[in-house]
Amino acid sequence: MAAEFVTTIKATEIPVGGLTAIDVRGTRLAVANVGGTYYAFDDACTHEQCSLAEQGELAGATLTCTCHGSEFDVRTGNVLAPPATVPVKAYRTRVEGDALQIEV
Amino acid sequence: MAQRHVILGASLAGATAAITLREEGADGDVILIGAEPQPPYERPPLSKAYLRGEVPFDKALVRPAAFYAEHEIQTMFGTRATRIDPSARVVELEDHRRVSFDVLLIATGGRNRTVSIPGVDLDGIYSLRTVQDADRIRAEMIAGRRAVVVGMGFIGSEVAASLRQKGLDVVVIDPSKTPLFRVLGEDVGRTIARLHRDHGVRMIFEDTVAAFEGTRRVGCVVTKAGLRVECDFAVVGIGIEPAVEALADSGIHIDNGVVVDEYCQTNVSGIYAAGDVANHFHPVFDRRIRVEHWQNAIKQGAAAARNMLGRRIAYDEIHWFWSDQYDANLQYAGFHTPWEQLVVRGRLDSGSYLACYVNAGRIDAAVGLNRAKEVRRIMPLIKARRPVNLEQLRDESVDLRSLHEIS
Repeated sequence: MAAEFVTTIKATEIPVGGLTAIDVRGTRLAVANVGGTYYAFDDACTHEQCSLAEQGELAGATLTCTCHGSEFDVRTGNVLAPPATVPVKAYRTRVEGDALQIEV
Repeated sequence: MAQRHVILGASLAGATAAITLREEGADGDVILIGAEPQPPYERPPLSKAYLRGEVPFDKALVRPAAFYAEHEIQTMFGTRATRIDPSARVVELEDHRRVSFDVLLIATGGRNRTVSIPGVDLDGIYSLRTVQDADRIRAEMIAGRRAVVVGMGFIGSEVAASLRQKGLDVVVIDPSKTPLFRVLGEDVGRTIARLHRDHGVRMIFEDTVAAFEGTRRVGCVVTKAGLRVECDFAVVGIGIEPAVEALADSGIHIDNGVVVDEYCQTNVSGIYAAGDVANHFHPVFDRRIRVEHWQNAIKQGAAAARNMLGRRIAYDEIHWFWSDQYDANLQYAGFHTPWEQLVVRGRLDSGSYLACYVNAGRIDAAVGLNRAKEVRRIMPLIKARRPVNLEQLRDESVDLRSLHEIS
C-alpha cells in the first residue's frame, strides 16, 4: 500500500518541547514538537527498543534515549551519539486544520 | 609536520581515539594496535544480550571491519605491545615489530583479576572480559544446569541475571553484605539483592571461596564458612586491574593505572592515556579517578585524541553508566567516596527510586533503579558542585530540572 497522510491527534495536544507516542495503523510512533514543528519517528530506540516517547529527553531537536544514552536528531532520525548506530525511521508530518497528519 | 599517531589498545577507547583523530583532521599516520585478533568491539553486550545469544557479535563492533582501512587507520590486531621506549619514541610488539611514534595513546584497558585458590585451574571455571570468554560461557549455558558466580560486582550481577534468564540455577558468592556493595553501599545493595532473589538467585554473602573441587572439571565450590555448592561450572568476576606491563621502566608514572592530567596527558610529553587504564585527574571532583565503564571509554578516548592534536580541552565529563539486570535498568552518575547522607526519591523497597550520595549538601553521585530520566536530569546538579535543597531533592513532585540551588 502506498504511503499516505493519516490523521492522528490534535496537533495542540503536544506542547512545544513535548514528546508523545501515537499508534498509527499498527505502528507505534513518537512525535516531537520542536518549536512548533512536528517530527514523527519510530518509537522504539534502535539500540535496545526502549520507548523514545517514554524514556526520551528532548533538548531542541536532539532526543536522548535515557535508557542507555543514545542521541538522535528528531528532524532526520540520524544518530548523534552511541550506543545506537542505526537511525530511527522518520516520517513526514503536516498539520491540516488542527489535525496532525503523519505519512505512513 | 605530519605526526605519527600510535594507539595501544584496539578497544572502545582506542578505536574511538583513532576515529576522532581522523574526524578532527589529523594528518599523518594513525596506527591502532591491539592484543585481541578481532576489530574493536564494545563489551557491554558480553554480559547481557550477546551472552544470552540475542544479538550477533557484529552488533558489538565499534565500526564495521572495513571502516579502518577506508579511513586510513592502519591496524595491527592480535599483537600486544611489550615495551614502550619514550626517549627513542618506539613501541615494541610481542611479534618483535617496532613501531615508531610522535604521539602515543595508551588505551590498553585492564585484565581480570585472578585469585590463587585451590582448584582454580580446573576446567569449567571462567572469567569474562573478551568475546572469547563470553563464547566459552555461552557454550555452558544450558537451561537446568547449575552455575556458581563468584563476585557480585557489576559483571557478576549481570552474568547472574543472564544465566537466570536462560533458565540456569544460579548461586552467587560474595564477601560483602550485598551485591555492588563497594560502589553503591548497603542500602542500595540490598535492593539489588532483592532483585536477584526475586528472580531465583541463591546468594551467599560475607563468605568467600576456599576451594574449587573436582577431578578434571569443577563440580563443587567450597566456601570458607564450610558451605559446599555443587555446580556444573563457575564464573569468577572479581574486578580488573589496569594493563600496564608494557610500561615498566618507561618512566611513565603508574599509580592504579596510568596517571594522566585533565588533558589525558602522562608525565611524559606526547604520551597520553584513556579508558579503563587511565587514572585521570577530574577537575569537577578535584581528584584522580579511574573508571571502567563504556561511556568513559568513548568520551575519554575522544578527548585524548583532541588533546593529541594540541586542542588542550580538559576532560570533565560526569561519569555515567548503566547496568541492565533482568528487566531492571540501573544507572549511576557522578563519583562518590563515603557519603554523609543518602537522599532517596521514591522508596528503596520499591522497584523505582533515585538515591543520591550527598556530602556537605552537594550531590556527588546518584544511582537510579528504573529512573533513567532522573539520572540524566541530575547530572547538571552533580556537575555544579553546589549545595542543593535536600527537601526538594527528596520531594518527588519537584522536577529535578527546576531544583533550586541554595545560594
